Amino acid sequence: MSETPIITTKNLNLWYNEKHALMDVNMGIQKNKTTALIGPSGCGKSTLLRCFNRLNDLIGCVKITGDITLDNESIHEGAVDIVMLRKRVGMVFQKPNPFPKSIYDNVAYGPRVHGVRDRKELDVIVEKSLKHAALWDEVKDRLNESALGLSGGQQQRLCIARTLAVEPEVILMDEPCSALDPIATAKIENLIDMLKQEYTVIIVTHNMQQAARVSDFTGFMYLGKLIEYDQTVNIFEHPKEELTEKYITGRFG
Amino acid sequence: MTEKFHAELNDLKTDVADMAHFALAMLRDALESFINQNEGQASTVLERKDHLRETGVRLEEHCYQLIALNQPMAKDMRTIACSLKVISASDRIGRYGKSTAKIVKEISRKPHIANMMSLPLMSEYVISMIEDATTAYDTENIQMLKDFSARDDAIDALRHSIFREAITYMMENPKTITQATYYIIIARYLERCADHACKIAENVCYMETGERVEIK
Repeated sequence: MSETPIITTKNLNLWYNEKHALMDVNMGIQKNKTTALIGPSGCGKSTLLRCFNRLNDLIGCVKITGDITLDNESIHEGAVDIVMLRKRVGMVFQKPNPFPKSIYDNVAYGPRVHGVRDRKELDVIVEKSLKHAALWDEVKDRLNESALGLSGGQQQRLCIARTLAVEPEVILMDEPCSALDPIATAKIENLIDMLKQEYTVIIVTHNMQQAARVSDFTGFMYLGKLIEYDQTVNIFEHPKEELTEKYITGRFG
Repeated sequence: MTEKFHAELNDLKTDVADMAHFALAMLRDALESFINQNEGQASTVLERKDHLRETGVRLEEHCYQLIALNQPMAKDMRTIACSLKVISASDRIGRYGKSTAKIVKEISRKPHIANMMSLPLMSEYVISMIEDATTAYDTENIQMLKDFSARDDAIDALRHSIFREAITYMMENPKTITQATYYIIIARYLERCADHACKIAENVCYMETGERVEIK
């Protein structure tokens, strides 16, 4: 992990009221790589993911210490524009959540919020984003139809297209395939593989085979701590920590 | 499901260790039949060839099934990878036993020459290496593999000395050529078997630690 990371956490701690949910997390997320966060339910992986674009700010009882930097600049300092931060660090959630609008308007929503009004420009962005999300061929003839008419897998790729439309640098994915069938899952996984050419992807997944397949780096978390963080091949072939070994071989508890 | 998988993995390991012992017994009996010029014993080795092959195929299938159905990771994955190697090494060792037994059938009626040179000693060394490698696999104890490089060197040296000695006998007396050539061949089989023991040892180290080691 010698390259300069795009995101770095320094002694990151997070509390939900009294509950200490993240403990001294130090990690560097490598640019243009896919990083997977794995661990049992409640270990803090989604909480950590949501720290990267400050989604936890929306929860009143959260207290954070330590720091996170994006391109060497703190994302917590007062001057940070949180809308800009979330433009740079986009997110895809567990369940596809398209807006009850047309396919076109879903993708154009973000650019419009950021001030793009020109229809031709929007057309270009929508086409490019849908192509990047490997959805264009399936929807190009029905862009004005409701996004809610798409299948679950298509809806998820639409959400990815919506994220790409604002040209983020980092894409956070929280269990993006857990609501999808194996074929739709395979499409998303292929997509993740393509996306890393241009974006940095951080994915939370419960499916260890998926983590092994799609990621370059894997972090294993347990009870709020980052237990082991290394190249994915090392984590799944010969992890250094006994806890990691026990978790990935199903010998937990 | 993981408990069922781990139980099956344990069963697989026991079965593979059994196959390794079966193959070792073939080699040991073949060497014994060579030393004692016991054709009957050599025949029993030849009879075991099919069982060895069938066991190997069945256990390999079991490995593939466990991989396909459970997508093992970390040590579980390494255990299956190592088991596959132990299966093929054992298959080879058993077949060298078979080949040795065939030689016994050829030459057992002629008296031994030169006190069989160092073949009995070499046999003893090789058998103990296979025994230790198999036990290390079975008990997951890599301590017993520490001196494998030196032991393999000793085997190579013995093979070389048998070769030289056999050449000398052949030059002195052409009537010894058949016997001496077979001695060279058996020494070569033994050296190959020691190599397979080293391969098993390397894979057991990988299974246990995830690190690659090379026994030279």
